[in-house]
Amino acid sequence: MSLTLSLTRVIKFTFQNIFRNFWLSFITLTIFVLTLITVNAVLFMNVVADSVLEAVEQKVEVTFYFNTETSEDIVTSAQGYLRGFAQVRDVEYVSADEALDLFRTRHVDDEVILSSLDEIGENPFGHSLVVTTQSTDDFAFIAEAMETPEFSSYIKEQDFTDYEAVISKIEALNTRIGYAGFALAGLFVLIAIMIIFNTIRVAIYVHRDEIGIMKLVGANNWFVRGPFILEALLYSFCATILMVAITFGILGASRGQITDYFGDASASIFNYFQENALFIFGWQFLALAALSLLTTAFAMRKYLKT
Amino acid sequence: MIRFSNVSKHYPPTTHALQHVSLHIKPGEFVSVVGQSGSGKTTLAKLLFAEEQATKGKIVIGDWDISGIKQSEVPELRRQIGIVFQDFKLLPRKTVLENVKFALEVAGESRVRIRKIVPQVLKIVGLSDKHARYPRQLSGGEQQRVSIARALVHRPKILVADEPTGNLDTIHAHEIIQLLKKINEYGTTVVLVTHDRDIVNALKKRVVTIADGKIVSDIQRGKYILS
Ligand SMILES: Nc1ncnc2c1ncn2[C@@H]1O[C@H](COP(=O)(O)OP(=O)(O)OP(=O)(O)O)[C@@H](O)[C@H]1O
Ligand SMILES: [Mg+2]
Repeated sequence: MSLTLSLTRVIKFTFQNIFRNFWLSFITLTIFVLTLITVNAVLFMNVVADSVLEAVEQKVEVTFYFNTETSEDIVTSAQGYLRGFAQVRDVEYVSADEALDLFRTRHVDDEVILSSLDEIGENPFGHSLVVTTQSTDDFAFIAEAMETPEFSSYIKEQDFTDYEAVISKIEALNTRIGYAGFALAGLFVLIAIMIIFNTIRVAIYVHRDEIGIMKLVGANNWFVRGPFILEALLYSFCATILMVAITFGILGASRGQITDYFGDASASIFNYFQENALFIFGWQFLALAALSLLTTAFAMRKYLKT
Repeated sequence: MIRFSNVSKHYPPTTHALQHVSLHIKPGEFVSVVGQSGSGKTTLAKLLFAEEQATKGKIVIGDWDISGIKQSEVPELRRQIGIVFQDFKLLPRKTVLENVKFALEVAGESRVRIRKIVPQVLKIVGLSDKHARYPRQLSGGEQQRVSIARALVHRPKILVADEPTGNLDTIHAHEIIQLLKKINEYGTTVVLVTHDRDIVNALKKRVVTIADGKIVSDIQRGKYILS
């Protein structure tokens, strides 16, 4: 028999099945969508947690204060030296004058402090370097790197110790959230698989007599399977599209709230979904399609025997 | 046309549904298979369209030895034999027309042929005017006529009907038997499995009686001989 003819017929039967079992189709599709949304909600929470932590980490910085008599050349060479490390995100050079200005503006209302500054007469601040790293893990490394004899004698102090507690807390939290997120995502994926598996099995079970009849009137296995397989693919596809629409709908509608709530972290939350949309949803579609195909084939096996 | 040679069917663990059955049915014959419940009539029918496979012996249909038929060849066999069941076995979500068409569509028949054949068989069974209805909107007799129409689309040389009147009242049963007779007169070999004494006696055709999986009598122009 010609392939195009069988294919047209399989497609025709697929749409007949979908529309003549409207409620079953509707419920199956709804379950697919809800399952995908659940999985994505968990994914979203992981992304939020990551983004928030990352934003906090980015704000953590270590400042090296140089002695007042240290020349600008040495400070800039230290800046260059630090920039040479892959772990370093940025090194900001704050000159003594800038530090003084900053101090003044910060204490503009404080008469006592300002007058005592005037009393000293000269600038009590030295130059300083503000270092941000790729990750909080790297602070220890940077501190050690600055202990090189080339620069160590010029450094008055580093206000790094204050952060240590915060950093280690963040790290502990980060790993814990990471594990919990993984476990939760794994659990939901497992539940999702079971739900999809069972939904399809029920849908096929409902049709078991029809499958038998089709075989009795001389349909071969592929002709019987075809519409069910195509139906499963269509549900997977429509469910993915709907879920993408819903996800971006919700993200778009709550953009304001997300920005207010998460501040700096919100940008990376939006970016994550926008930049990886094809990857995230593409993989979800493929996984869902593969799962529903396998389940369909598996669930039909015993009804196709004779 | 149909030849059973020493055929036995064993259902594990302990049922011997058919034992050493030898039977020859010639082209154009109308054969009634009768016997008490559990005697093996349906089993005999199922062997004909390969829903079951014989444990022993040989079954030849036309010149096709179907003992040990491959699963992939079964659809082809079923397009050569018309099958009619007690419970009609219509697809509930397809109309009368679609149910009949379906048997042709799965066989890869062209649209042109389908458009020609389907109205013909619907006319033979007298359902041309109800082609757009769903099975649930038909009486039992009408549903059975749809299933006979479906069985006829391939112009089969053999029609196997397993208690086609079992779910019908006397009047509808009579209609169906008349239809089967008409089909037989056009040249199709008919194997009718039945319980119904009156039908068998009125037919005055060959009667094969089965008891406990064995053929106990085989009489041309026979009668229903069981008590
Ligand atoms: N799939 C099966 N597995 C096991 N035993 C079976 C199976 N099908 C039928 N049998 C047994 O085989 C024997 C013959 O069954 P069959 O269905 O052929 O009887 P029958 O003559 O058609 O009866 P009825 O008039 O009630 O339809 C019975 O004892 C039945 O229990
Ligand atoms: Mg029976």
